[in-house]
Amino acid sequence: MKRDPVVIILVAMVVTIMLVFGFHMVRPSADQAALAGANLKGNMAPEFTLQSLDGKTVHLVDFRGKAVLLNFWATWCEPCKIEMPWFVELQKQYGPEGLQVVGIAMDDASQEDIAKFASNMGVNYPILIGKEAVGDAYGGVQFLPATFYIGRDGKVVDKVFGLKGRGEIEENIKKALAEGQAVQARR
Amino acid sequence: MHAVPKLAACLLILAPLVPAQDGPGRKIPSVTLAPVPITTITRGKPGTVELQFRVGSGFHINSNTPKSEFLIPTALKLNAPTDIVVGKTTYPPGVDRSFPFAPDEKLSVYGGDFTLGVIVRPLAHVVPGKYALHGQLKYQACDNAACYPPKQLPVDFEVKVEKAKVVVHKKNPAQSPHAHN
Repeated sequence: MKRDPVVIILVAMVVTIMLVFGFHMVRPSADQAALAGANLKGNMAPEFTLQSLDGKTVHLVDFRGKAVLLNFWATWCEPCKIEMPWFVELQKQYGPEGLQVVGIAMDDASQEDIAKFASNMGVNYPILIGKEAVGDAYGGVQFLPATFYIGRDGKVVDKVFGLKGRGEIEENIKKALAEGQAVQARR
Repeated sequence: MHAVPKLAACLLILAPLVPAQDGPGRKIPSVTLAPVPITTITRGKPGTVELQFRVGSGFHINSNTPKSEFLIPTALKLNAPTDIVVGKTTYPPGVDRSFPFAPDEKLSVYGGDFTLGVIVRPLAHVVPGKYALHGQLKYQACDNAACYPPKQLPVDFEVKVEKAKVVVHKKNPAQSPHAHN
């Protein structure tokens, strides 16, 4: 029996479409989250309420009027460990100008272990215990570190995935400090 | 000429299996287990099953003995059927490597191919036959600039349990009391 090549290609295309469709059906949340993250720039940063290591309830809106460097990290993330001393220095340097570094630990480790890690790193900024829903709101945070730079007006100025150089971090901090200056001036 | 449509069909079918890009332009790390040939083990005696894993290009995972208490070690956890005892898992030593994100620090990692050995010992009364073992390899992968949440890779394989071979010692006829010269 001779098979028509056109029929074979058509069948293959149908199977491919079904496979692709099925593949995307089983992981809609990841794609939607990634899309959400991609669309954040220029928009208001998603609000959250999280507990800090010292037991305080922290809302993102608490920092309105400040430029926020929002860093998603974990104790098992070696590149995150490289950035943390930079954040400590940059918080000291730019804190008086209105920078607030905020760390969100996306960790399965115990709160004690996270606190121990943060203490070892000499962290001088609030560390919040992350929740998956907050990560999802920021695009899924499928790998770490992930850092969002939020202007004084609460809008996302930039987002950076993976480890970048200290110089790039500092440039983004300056952009975030400059963004929404009018908001601060009105206060 | 018939090869062209067949090739096109194969490419179309395989297209979705190309490694997915997740997030902003990044590949998802993959750790895979090569098909495990069935290992034959004599009941009552230990045997070693070798499991060959492959870490996707551009990624590394922590070894079983990472250099920091905060890093997540690669670890195999197996559930064995009743009367099959899973013994020690032998992990290869990690490779000490430094990465662009920490050039002055060496991490103990696995990359590329690595093999774990699992001791399996069927109890002496086990009925001969094939037995399935299931478990997970827990790992946490990174590339040169980012790390990915811990994952668990399903690990499934079979062992074939057989009876101990009966060794027949042939007697030397010369020593037989019934031997006649």
